[in-house]
Amino acid sequence: MNENLKNILSNLSTEVDQETLIKYLQGNLTEEQKNDVEKKMLGNNFDDDALEGLQQIKNKENISTLVEQLNRDLQKKLIKKKQRREKLRFKDQPWLYFAIIIILILLVVSYFVIQRLLKNN
Amino acid sequence: MDKYQHISDKQLLEKFYTDRDNDWLGILLQRYTLLLLGVCMKYLKNEELAKDSVQQIFLKVITELHKYKVDYFKSWVYMVAKNHCLMQLRDKPGKINLELNEKFPAQDETSDKQQLLQDEKTYALMSVALTELNPEQQQCVTLFYLEKKSYSEICEMTGHTMMQVKSHIQNGKRNLRILIEKKLNELK
Repeated sequence: MNENLKNILSNLSTEVDQETLIKYLQGNLTEEQKNDVEKKMLGNNFDDDALEGLQQIKNKENISTLVEQLNRDLQKKLIKKKQRREKLRFKDQPWLYFAIIIILILLVVSYFVIQRLLKNN
Repeated sequence: MDKYQHISDKQLLEKFYTDRDNDWLGILLQRYTLLLLGVCMKYLKNEELAKDSVQQIFLKVITELHKYKVDYFKSWVYMVAKNHCLMQLRDKPGKINLELNEKFPAQDETSDKQQLLQDEKTYALMSVALTELNPEQQQCVTLFYLEKKSYSEICEMTGHTMMQVKSHIQNGKRNLRILIEKKLNELK
């Protein structure tokens, strides 16, 4: 009883993982497990809003697929961004090396030209 | 199963700020996909719009985190999501104009509550305070916290709607806290 009373004022909500939340939404938890999820989510604005919104999804069986799809899209976008960045990095490097080599060649050539001019004088 | 489960949000953010690798953000964002979908559904009431919004929020988060340092990811991402949805609603004529800059509870809002909990007197007072709540709140709080009934069970038992049950529990909890604080002050 004392422990239960303690729960009323406690706000130390440990997070509910997505898997459990999906089970909750699909009605695959016992009443006690449901109570546990609800207790953890109560009082946090983010969780409250999310739970209210998720309950409005008509086909609850579809929720996992929706989440997987969104996660896959996110991964694709991240990979694309990474590839673009690496491509840019790769593209940058040959020009840099090319410029350095040209400058070095010019320096060596001008050294020899100056030397020859000095000798001729 | 998230193989990075042992790493907290804060640690993932630190790793990202160290090497600026978006993969860390990917792991972090995937933890909130379902909650973000729920928030977007609550405000937009349309699955397709909600899905699109989650994708836009992902992109926004990735861009913004490169610019700013964020300490409490969960509160921050909720604010980004909510503002995004409200902007969408605002863009649509005929929708209710909602407050965009709603204040968010401080992260350690619970600290004084925890302090309250440490006091053993509180438990003794709580049983008394519970009887002083209005009948609906008393019934819902008792069923939810003491008898561990789920919302749906409480709805069946009381005839209230889910929203009413949640509201009675939340208001009951708040009033209970006020009553206990009052009683503790009287004892001093």
